[in-house]
Amino acid sequence: MATGHGAGKPVISLKIRAPRDFWGGLALIALAIIAFFATRELGGMQGVAFGPGTAPRLFAGLLLAIGCVVTATGLMTDGPPIETFAFRGPAFVLAGIGAFAVMMQGLWFVPPLGLVLSSFAAFIISISGSREARWMESLIAAAAMTTFCVVLFSIVLKLPFPLWPAFML
Amino acid sequence: MFDLFSNLWLGFSVAAQPANIGFCLLGALVGTLVGVLPGIGTVATVAMLLPITFSLAPVGALIMLAGIYYGAQYGGSTTSVLVNIPGEATSVVTCLDGHQMARQGRAGAALAIAAIGSFIAGCVSTILVAALGEPLTKIALWFGPAEYFSLMVLGLMFAVVLAHGSVIKAIAMILTGLLLSMIGSDIETGAGRMTFDWPELSDGIGFANVAMGVFGFAEIIRNLEVSQESRDIVQSKIKGLMPTKKDLKDSSGAIARGTLIGSILGILPGGGAVVASFAAYTVEKRISKHPERFGKGAIEGVAAPEAANNAAAQTSFIPLLTLGIPPNAVMALMVGAMTIHGIVPGPQVMTKQPDLFWGMIASMWLGNLMLVVINLPLVGVWVSLLRVPYRLLFPSIVVFCCIGIYSINNSATDVLIAAAFGLFGYWLSKHEFEPAPLVLAFVLGPLMEENLRRAMLIARGDPSVFVTRPISAGLLFVAVAMLTLAMLPLIRRRRDEVFVE
Repeated sequence: MATGHGAGKPVISLKIRAPRDFWGGLALIALAIIAFFATRELGGMQGVAFGPGTAPRLFAGLLLAIGCVVTATGLMTDGPPIETFAFRGPAFVLAGIGAFAVMMQGLWFVPPLGLVLSSFAAFIISISGSREARWMESLIAAAAMTTFCVVLFSIVLKLPFPLWPAFML
Repeated sequence: MFDLFSNLWLGFSVAAQPANIGFCLLGALVGTLVGVLPGIGTVATVAMLLPITFSLAPVGALIMLAGIYYGAQYGGSTTSVLVNIPGEATSVVTCLDGHQMARQGRAGAALAIAAIGSFIAGCVSTILVAALGEPLTKIALWFGPAEYFSLMVLGLMFAVVLAHGSVIKAIAMILTGLLLSMIGSDIETGAGRMTFDWPELSDGIGFANVAMGVFGFAEIIRNLEVSQESRDIVQSKIKGLMPTKKDLKDSSGAIARGTLIGSILGILPGGGAVVASFAAYTVEKRISKHPERFGKGAIEGVAAPEAANNAAAQTSFIPLLTLGIPPNAVMALMVGAMTIHGIVPGPQVMTKQPDLFWGMIASMWLGNLMLVVINLPLVGVWVSLLRVPYRLLFPSIVVFCCIGIYSINNSATDVLIAAAFGLFGYWLSKHEFEPAPLVLAFVLGPLMEENLRRAMLIARGDPSVFVTRPISAGLLFVAVAMLTLAMLPLIRRRRDEVFVE
């Protein structure tokens, strides 16, 4: 990853001194390039009028420039290293959210399962992201939260959610 | 003058309908309930609770949102005082003296003075909003597309200057937000832009998904990294809620000055409430005869910033209601909510829907009153909520957010998009990018593009229109001046210090 290490020769050092800025800047550049790619077929200026592609490309161009500046900052100034990304927490939380989406709507082999099961599952999956979770307590809390949500969303706010799986009704 | 009172009367007759009082009360309660949770700031709270207002009628929904906003802010102050975890920048200063007071066994007095200060500030600034609203909408008549565009540039620059850390990175976030807002159909030609032929994206990304992702989910994921077991909660029973005569006497001047500073700074676009609370605290420390008491539990150090941030929160509705431009992230959420109800924020709201406009202003005052009469007696409840371990809180928040997003369009894709933005927000925090400018730019994006295109068309493609029209030139000048000042090394250091302090 870092260039300029190694051989010990004082070559022109392109060392990443502020990795947060360097990689952040590169990501911005990538984003700008994706935007350019995604708008390549959209019309540009038509006489004095903006086409649909003008403004996105204008802002993507500016983003590209800023991205270069941020990347350059990462090479020229010192900064703290990137904090390690946790895996367990984000993975379980995102899996919980994903499970909710799939169970609510139904996808592939999963039929729509209704609010009660979806909420309960999302709670149990995301709580597993914490190392401090305890089984019994989690189950009770999940049941309590599901009840609270059913009361709030279905009864108080009267949102038309199916509560139970369609095949059970 | 007579107009002012008749308008306020209209407002109160709307806000005081039992259903609307109910929504305001419910909003303030739920807002505090979520705002009290440590690590969840005002913006995240409002973003999370936004969907539950969508099923209501527009007036009721906005009144409830206003209640949520004040509740969230007050909830944040409660956490600052009791746990020393500021939910957001506005309550950072409250931590300094508030938590010290709590450790000296005066948590009750600190919370009471925060509520009283907020209430007084709220009363004054509500009248201010009502009085300034009408003349300011007249200004809107002088505004053409070029002026609107420049004003939004100014607002975004304020957001840049006020963001923590690097100015350049905040600008990068603005551009990212603008680009994201352009996903979907082009307003004029209807051409799909950056949709990657994905039908779910043809209407653009819902704003609630972005806000919930980068503020809600990202926040949760990040908090999971820190062990939440060692929270410094004030364990002693909170007694003596009523402040003493001396407390009231000490803080009356601070509340008055805080209200004044907050009201002025709140009108400025770009996050007035944060600056207001910092400025008010600094002023109190400067003019105090005993500046050494600050940071050790001086009641003025709680009263002034709390009054200031509440006053600023109130007056920040002025640019939104008169010009249709949200000055900060919370107001951006309000715009999102208004749009969903088919209301285009701006000067026409006041003339076309006077009951909505004045009802909302009146409900701000009611919301403040609710905080004093409901929340203070409930302090015990909020404290017990703080004792609920985080491992049980966070999955509850996840579930709540999921249902909230799903309820907007009955769309599972929306939930997944929000999850993706949660991951994106987590990545941003690791690289020290601030999400607030991104969300503000995301909301302003379509408005900005529309006005830019119209201005250029009217000027026959000549971009100099932005600097030859005097109001537009003035606004751009202020924007550039501010940005330059923020980039100067000397001031940058001062600015960093303010945020560190």
